[in-house]
Amino acid sequence: MSAAIEIRGLTKRYGDVLAVDSLDLHIEPGEVYGFLGLNGAGKTTTIRALLGMVRPSSGGVSLLGRVVGPYGDGPWRRVGHLVETPAAYPELTVRENLEIARRLYGVEDRGATSRALERFGLGASAGRRAGTLSTGNRQRLGLARALLHEPKLLILDEPANGLDPAGVVEVRELLGALARERGVTVFMSSHILAEVNRLASRVGILHHGRLVEELDAADLEGRRARRLVVDARDRAAARSALEAAGYAVTVDGRGGGLALADLRAIEAPDEVARALVAAGAPPLRLAVEQEDLEEHFLRLIGASA
Amino acid sequence: MRHGLAALWAESLKARRSKVPWLTALGFSLAPLMGGLFMVILKDPARARSMGLISAKAQLTAGVADWPTFLGVLAQATAVGGAMLFALVTAWVFGREFADGTVKDLLALPTPRATIVAAKFVVVAVWGTALAALVLALGLVVGAAVGLPGWSWALLVRATGDLAATACMTLALMPPVALLASIGRGYLAPVGWAILTVFLAQILAAIGWGSWFPWSVPPLFAGLAGPRSAQLGAHSYVVVAVTFAAGLASTFTWWQKADQSR
Repeated sequence: MSAAIEIRGLTKRYGDVLAVDSLDLHIEPGEVYGFLGLNGAGKTTTIRALLGMVRPSSGGVSLLGRVVGPYGDGPWRRVGHLVETPAAYPELTVRENLEIARRLYGVEDRGATSRALERFGLGASAGRRAGTLSTGNRQRLGLARALLHEPKLLILDEPANGLDPAGVVEVRELLGALARERGVTVFMSSHILAEVNRLASRVGILHHGRLVEELDAADLEGRRARRLVVDARDRAAARSALEAAGYAVTVDGRGGGLALADLRAIEAPDEVARALVAAGAPPLRLAVEQEDLEEHFLRLIGASA
Repeated sequence: MRHGLAALWAESLKARRSKVPWLTALGFSLAPLMGGLFMVILKDPARARSMGLISAKAQLTAGVADWPTFLGVLAQATAVGGAMLFALVTAWVFGREFADGTVKDLLALPTPRATIVAAKFVVVAVWGTALAALVLALGLVVGAAVGLPGWSWALLVRATGDLAATACMTLALMPPVALLASIGRGYLAPVGWAILTVFLAQILAAIGWGSWFPWSVPPLFAGLAGPRSAQLGAHSYVVVAVTFAAGLASTFTWWQKADQSR
């Protein structure tokens, strides 16, 4: 079975600016791939190249086994997309906007429009002009459009943008279900790293146009740094006691307590507690914490920069 | 064929739901109405003065109030007005995709980009033809209401042919407008271009180079500077055809190849 997405040595230059630099990606059918990066990292350029909207300076892209471009050719009947801010024809109703998409995608089934409206809770707004929609509902319309033709591959740029918390959960569950139950491949860029963390089976981190790390859920678990966070009433005394016991101590950036990154401390917090009690600075809190994707991302980007 | 019909349906729906067709129809309706008013004044200047339609000081020395003159005025109005209003229509049909940010939804579809561009040109052509037909129809009503002399069916056939040819040539100059709306990603560049070409068409026609300048050809054909046989040659129609073909080819190529990075 061919890859859902195959990117080979993709490079895109705009004059002197190198937007994407020798990017290679291989994404299997049914994967949910999270594509992370700061603003200007090259995520949207990559997505536009995947969709044949920009011509690579070198390298190439295949989707669902078919080469994309050079004249906008691609397996578009099987691909749904949402690029950056969702747009709609403002003077047309929500239904009319979707009806245009249905026809241009060549979907014969007239019921597809109504199903897409219901799936994204837009039934009540079907007759409203798209120009009057809230940001969240415009995002729903963009997602409805992307899914209207039941694609096998979804390429989504910031799918949770503008959605309220309930909408974020709804979209997460929908995308997860599509991947699990129908084998739909989801390629999504996002700034909401917690969302990517919950949904993606694999994550790629792009920085200055280069893929600096690619990891699956197990990798992420293994590579995310762990630390022992300690707090005491007398933090200065606790710090002195721990340093005297041979631990490397830093200040915990989030809670203001103390953080120990030594494996010795993480694997034997009881020893740490004993040293603190013996020094007359008993711990108020002692916890092994693991960085989340956001912290891992920032640490990696910081190191890369 | 299926894709073509889908694209045509989509483009016509966008046009039907817009206010722009009504505004252009309103703008084009002014031509026969103003022409009719002019005919009333020419027909009986003393009465027009007494009705307050013209100033007592106005000197009307040229022009005859009859059907041939009136129908000629309509063709000239189609040439000059069409250069602006057809350009506005074209700028809207193409430029709106960029102004509304919807162009990115037209690029990765089973319906080929060339089909979508072709559908847009068809809508511009139909829209322009409808506006020209409106000018003629309204002109006939106004002319009849004014009671102009000199009517004949042969005249109507000839005038309809002239007006249709003028409208066709004016529409043939729209592909460069579509190209500029695409490259400029909006309305400003094509509207600026339309104003510039109307201005240059007047200047070049005045200094005698109009037969070589495509944008001067439709108004000269309509008789704006006298009988067309004295103004235009075969080369004039060739430059219009070349402008049409080059503009069309460039617009299709741009949509196929240009980076859509915004």
